[in-house]
Amino acid sequence: MKMLQINDLHVSVLHKPILCGVELTIKAGEIHAIMGPNGSGKSTLANILAGREGYQVTGGKLLFQGDNLLGMAPEERSRAGIFLSFQNPVEIPGVSNARLLKEAFNAHQRHQQLPEMDALRFRDYLQSRSQQLGLPADWLLRAVNVGFSGGEKKRNELLQMMVLAPRLAILDELDSGLDIDALAVVAAGINALRDGQRCMLLITHYSRLLQQVVPDHIHVLIDGRIVLSAGAELAVLLEERGYGWLSERVQ
Amino acid sequence: MAVGEGTMNNSLQTYQSQWNERLPALPGCKLLSWRAARQKSMERLLQIGLPTQKMETWKYTSGKLLSQRGYTLPDPACLGLDPEDLSPYLLEQQESNRLVFVNGLVAPFLSKLHDLPPGVRVESLAKVVNNAPDEWEPYLEQFLTGPDQGFSELNHALWADGAFVYLPEGSRLEKPLQLLFLTTTSQNPMMTLPWNLIIAGGNSQAVLVESYATLGQAIHFTNSYTSLVLGDKAQMRHLLLLGESPFAHHVGTLQCTQTMGSRLHSQLFSIGGKITRQDLHVTLAGTEAECSLDGLFFAKGEQHMDFHSAIHHTHSTTRSQQLYKGILDEQARGIFNGLVHVPSGVEQTQSQQTTANLLLSDRAEIDAKPQLEINSNAVQCSHGATVGSLDPEALFYLQSRGIDFATARTLLIHGFAEELLQRFSPASVREWIERSFHFGGVHA
Repeated sequence: MKMLQINDLHVSVLHKPILCGVELTIKAGEIHAIMGPNGSGKSTLANILAGREGYQVTGGKLLFQGDNLLGMAPEERSRAGIFLSFQNPVEIPGVSNARLLKEAFNAHQRHQQLPEMDALRFRDYLQSRSQQLGLPADWLLRAVNVGFSGGEKKRNELLQMMVLAPRLAILDELDSGLDIDALAVVAAGINALRDGQRCMLLITHYSRLLQQVVPDHIHVLIDGRIVLSAGAELAVLLEERGYGWLSERVQ
Repeated sequence: MAVGEGTMNNSLQTYQSQWNERLPALPGCKLLSWRAARQKSMERLLQIGLPTQKMETWKYTSGKLLSQRGYTLPDPACLGLDPEDLSPYLLEQQESNRLVFVNGLVAPFLSKLHDLPPGVRVESLAKVVNNAPDEWEPYLEQFLTGPDQGFSELNHALWADGAFVYLPEGSRLEKPLQLLFLTTTSQNPMMTLPWNLIIAGGNSQAVLVESYATLGQAIHFTNSYTSLVLGDKAQMRHLLLLGESPFAHHVGTLQCTQTMGSRLHSQLFSIGGKITRQDLHVTLAGTEAECSLDGLFFAKGEQHMDFHSAIHHTHSTTRSQQLYKGILDEQARGIFNGLVHVPSGVEQTQSQQTTANLLLSDRAEIDAKPQLEINSNAVQCSHGATVGSLDPEALFYLQSRGIDFATARTLLIHGFAEELLQRFSPASVREWIERSFHFGGVHA
């Protein structure tokens, strides 16, 4: 079953074309990785999927489970099952992790016409999840991302992902800012979410994450186009040879 | 002639004739000294007038206040108020005592003063002054020192009642004490002029909640004055909750004198009124005296809120802290002016002043001004003022987690206020504030 379908997607920022005819289809249970040099349009693709403002879609189609994503507000996309793990998660003073998770979780429950979770049970549930990710005991009371290290911010994104259990998780540079131990924890968390139904889009510069979360397909994005698609073995080749030879080939 | 001066002269004449008429019956007037004090205030008022736009500290607010109609003084009338009517404005029954005033006069049947510690007095000031006018005569001069300003003089000339709180040395109020000032709707818009005298003896401790509210949507004017005297090592937490009708005008002064080692924690929350002007004057008149002034205000529509603090460090080793946060939506206007004064020869003082403001609309406006008058080198002093709007990145982040825009906005506004909100106690006050936040329409 096709979960995400991107056809001939063209996107500009301030009239400058960033994505120029992207084609991508992700089926249920698949993990895809998008690799590419800085400025190739990887994060634009992630942001467009999540519904961030400031981009003009000048052509193409974006369907999620058959629904047109382009007409949906960011919160509607989230409730439909899309989750973006931010490259640089924003700090929100005065709003605790617990508060955000509770509001978000209950918004999803209401959307599915399910009862909101009891506050105490939810707290226990969150505590066990945050322990699993090696987050400190006072984590839930702390303000969202305020004073967190780069690695803590990424683990916090993963905690939110576990709670919201998305159908499509887009992980934008999840590996940046993580040391090797933290990467192993995060990778284990991601692998635990693989269930044959859920799909993921990993966006990364490096093959490091892909050694631990092995994708079904790897796509290389250069200058707003997918120039090469292959299996997991492509990561090794890119690690050895970089992107230069592909750029040359495109030109 | 400046804007509003004509109206001002008219209203001064009105107040003067009301004063002439009522003077013999006003509290304390059986005694020459009290009568003379009222006389002096009236004369001073006629001399200086009500504040005008020409006065730097009143430039934003005077014109608006003065262009308004004249107000009449309330007449004592039997009001058929039920304690039930008060419930939205009351702290938890179990956790507090209260003295209630309706239209400026004490309402004993709505008040509740149980189990006060021995020697602690919580009464109507009018009653105290009428019953034993000479008892408080020695304090008169001290109570009357304060800002030389028309509205204070008007209060001192015409006050009809207020709270009198006396905490003897070493006493401790276990439960918060609420002083509730309610104004009802009336045919002619009323001006109430409560004067509160609060004397905290050495080593005493108390939490006082002074709250102002309107029953219904009345147009009225509250001109309040609270005198606070903290003895050596006294500890006072004073909450000021301003929640009057959207048609009300409020001009208030909190005047506090602190002696050695005393500590004042003032916490202000303002959400009501059409035009609000609140002054806080603190004199740290003893070594190791310390004050901390917190303020949170939320204005929308055409509300106008003006806060002026003045902290005078007259003694060495005194400390002051201020944190004021304003949230302004629609066409609301806010002003924060914080004066810190350290005269020469006063050393080792510490003062910190921070004001942060959140503008929720392009048309909202804030004027935040620190005013430091430091004439001594041996001091630590810092100040900072910020103005910002909601972070679009943070809004998108919350929305991307499935939270709708309106809830995301409320969460961020709440988050901005959280640092101050969590300092408010008892819990019922914090809950009241959080409720009024939502009822106040923080939602888009």
